[in-house]
Amino acid sequence: MKVTIKSWRGVATWRWVANDDNCGICRMPFDAACPDCKIPGDDCPLVWGQCSHCFHIHCIMKWLNSQQTSLLCPMCRQEWKFKE
Amino acid sequence: MENASGNAVKMDQCIDRIFREVLENISSDNLMNSQTRNCLKMCPFSLLMMKIEKIVRIRVVPQFWSKFNNSINKDSKEGFQDFTDSVDELYENSKKFISVIDRLKESISCVHQNCEFKSDQLIKHVRHYIQGTILSQIPLQHTIIIEQFYKTAFNVFCNIEALQQPCDFPTNNELIICEGCKQEKKNCRCQVIVNIFHKTNEKLIDLGLLERLSGSVLTSLIHIRIKNYVFSVSCNSFNQSQIGNLEHWLDTVVMNWLVRIYTGGSSKMAGLPDKFRNAISTFKQKLSYFLYETYTRVRIQQLFNIILIFPDSQPALDDLRVCLKKNDLRKYLISNLQFNVKTRLLHPGVSTPDILTTYISAIKALRQLDPTCTLLEIITDPVKLYLRGREDTVRCVVSGLLNESNANNLANEIMRNKPINQDLSSSNDTAQKDSNNSTQTKKENWENWQPDLIDSENEFDLKPDLKSDLKSSLFGIYSKITPCKAEPNSAVISKNENSDLISMLVNVYGSQDLFVNEYRSLLADRLLSQLDFQTEKEYRQLQLLKERFGEQQLLSCEVMIKDLCDSQNINNNIHNDQTYMSHFKAFDTSALILSAQFWPPFKEDWKLELPAVVQQQLQKYVLAFESFKANRSICWKTHIGNVNLEIETQDRKLTLNVSPIHATIIIHFQDKNEWSLDQLSEVMHVPTTVLRRKIGYWVSQSLLIETSNDVFVLVDKLDPDNSKQFTDLTQNILEDDEDIDSAMASVSDQREEELQIFWSYIVGMLTNLDSMPLERIHQMLKMFASQGTGAVECSLAELRQFLDNKVKDHQLLYSSGLYKLPKS
Ligand SMILES: [Zn+2]
Ligand SMILES: [Zn+2]
Ligand SMILES: [Zn+2]
Repeated sequence: MKVTIKSWRGVATWRWVANDDNCGICRMPFDAACPDCKIPGDDCPLVWGQCSHCFHIHCIMKWLNSQQTSLLCPMCRQEWKFKE
Repeated sequence: MENASGNAVKMDQCIDRIFREVLENISSDNLMNSQTRNCLKMCPFSLLMMKIEKIVRIRVVPQFWSKFNNSINKDSKEGFQDFTDSVDELYENSKKFISVIDRLKESISCVHQNCEFKSDQLIKHVRHYIQGTILSQIPLQHTIIIEQFYKTAFNVFCNIEALQQPCDFPTNNELIICEGCKQEKKNCRCQVIVNIFHKTNEKLIDLGLLERLSGSVLTSLIHIRIKNYVFSVSCNSFNQSQIGNLEHWLDTVVMNWLVRIYTGGSSKMAGLPDKFRNAISTFKQKLSYFLYETYTRVRIQQLFNIILIFPDSQPALDDLRVCLKKNDLRKYLISNLQFNVKTRLLHPGVSTPDILTTYISAIKALRQLDPTCTLLEIITDPVKLYLRGREDTVRCVVSGLLNESNANNLANEIMRNKPINQDLSSSNDTAQKDSNNSTQTKKENWENWQPDLIDSENEFDLKPDLKSDLKSSLFGIYSKITPCKAEPNSAVISKNENSDLISMLVNVYGSQDLFVNEYRSLLADRLLSQLDFQTEKEYRQLQLLKERFGEQQLLSCEVMIKDLCDSQNINNNIHNDQTYMSHFKAFDTSALILSAQFWPPFKEDWKLELPAVVQQQLQKYVLAFESFKANRSICWKTHIGNVNLEIETQDRKLTLNVSPIHATIIIHFQDKNEWSLDQLSEVMHVPTTVLRRKIGYWVSQSLLIETSNDVFVLVDKLDPDNSKQFTDLTQNILEDDEDIDSAMASVSDQREEELQIFWSYIVGMLTNLDSMPLERIHQMLKMFASQGTGAVECSLAELRQFLDNKVKDHQLLYSSGLYKLPKS
């Protein structure tokens, strides 16, 4: 007997490759959207800081905007710089 | 007859004697009278009365009743005759008393100043005395021959009336026996009976005995007749109103008969004294009440069936509504309908869609009967309770809601009520095309219905039938009008009607969340079983549900559908990716990539281990995805999917679409043609119970055969003897037609999982407090466990269910109303 696979339609789940499950700001899972967004993924991406912490982009932007003086990572209090 | 005439002679002699005695007595009294005027001992009329009373008491009345007593074994013909004779005799006797009084009055007058027998009172007194004595001596069995008399006459009348009516059925003219008098036709006595009947009634009227003697018999005869008639017209026909017909029948047929009895044969009431006219109209009122009561009871007994075929049964329902205003049978209605619902609807033999359809019909019908909805609640509450206990209810509601084919009644019911909404979101070009055609029709209807629907809320009381007629015809029309940009008005109406219907169904649960959850599971199953990225239909249905439940509730469903669109995009991109395409591809690969957070939880008790060649190819796809979407990766749900296989054996070539598990099994048999269940289970990481079921598919394809217990071998070449049968089989099964297992955990599983968070609290409580009743546990949980975000609400019923499951699992003990932990 010879079995030939003509096509394979599989089902998979996607996830962000990050060193944590939840956003440290909104506490939502990274794979879900931030509280301001309805749709996860491209519409509500993650960003990484040079300190290697990452957040929903909308969450860190909100955080940074709320800071009066210096811009610090809310997790490690190091100066926040976007990772290139 | 001899006896009767003998009696008559005796009576005559008797009366003559009285007359003589009285006269003698008077003359001797008069002698004394002339001397001492004041010591007249006896008024002559009193004397006469005493004598007459005695005869009435001792002879006339006993004689009258004598025929009634021994009537048990008589047939109706004899009974008829006996009654006639008795009445005749009584009548003759009373006439004689009157004549003797008249004679006495001529020959003498009472000299007493205040004689109690003024001459015109005498006859009245005799009458009253006869009436009174008749009633005081009434024998137990007296009704038998009265009944026979009236029944006989009644039959004759009914027959005459039936012959006059234009007949629906060919009457059997060949009959030898007359239907009326039950005699041979050539000897028909109908006319004789009618004549005798009228004469007898006349005499009874004259004696003032008609109502007292015959009233109850007459009433019960007419009641029977009314019952029969009501049953015959309303039996199994719900599509016609019968009230008018029944009223007319009572007015003509029954009243005609009644008037004839009172008039002694004439059908005109005009000549009757007021007394009788009043009697007849009172009688009629009572009969009319009885008629309505009978009809109401019949319709109440039919109410369950009326609901089943509603709205085709609208006329019957309208009748019932009118009837209920005339009598007080609501309690009877409630208990009767409750009984029917319980015995005919709420049992395992009835399918859930059928119960739901009946539930909807009941709501619509009962709302018309009782706009206050009290009745509705009383009747439908047990239905809701029962439906909640059925596992497939929500699923049925959702699939009924989404089922566009006319497969089941529930879907029809729902479709009928959502003509426009559903098409609102359909593509614009069709809308343009069709709107031209429908504008004309719409406009005409618009003019007709608009005014009636403005105050639709309040109108239920006033003109319910009109309104429902309008509505149903309206929706009948609209459901035929396919897509058009809805005008504001029509959109509002269809939305109300539709949302109304959905809320009825959702109301079964009292919780939208549960309903939406089930919809989500259902949607997940549908999307995963199709895997063809066709989402238009699902999207349209989602829009429909969003209008009802709001965006927020259905957000995850929207993401689920979007996942399918995105996946197609990603697949296209990966297939255009030079790196991915330049590598060797074992087979064409595509993926449905889900946002796990938004899908219902997957059943993941085990994870299928795919064949190496498949794993390698799927890994290439993962890499391609990772390079397309930075910082993201995918993880295969290995057991879900759709695999297209080409299988070539020595003598067969098959092309099949199967699930990954099926594909994996057969690929393993390609490498090695004999596997035990255990070996295969180890390689595939699939429990043997599941595996055995899946292998069954290949056995049915005659590619595998179970040679010994749990050992399967590849059938590379069919035994020529059996080949024909096998090839027939394979031709039928081109696709994997096995029932598609839901890949999702069921809603109740999910709920059970949610409730698990309470378990540690409960254990803590019971450790400290030893034993507690359900209510107390519930209270404590509310205090401790429901704080903070994501608090899980838990009803008392749910908690009981949860605890009872724990009792079943021996994690709890339950006795005399208290839960406690088992001693460890
Ligand atoms: Zn966030
Ligand atoms: Zn966001
Ligand atoms: Zn940091």
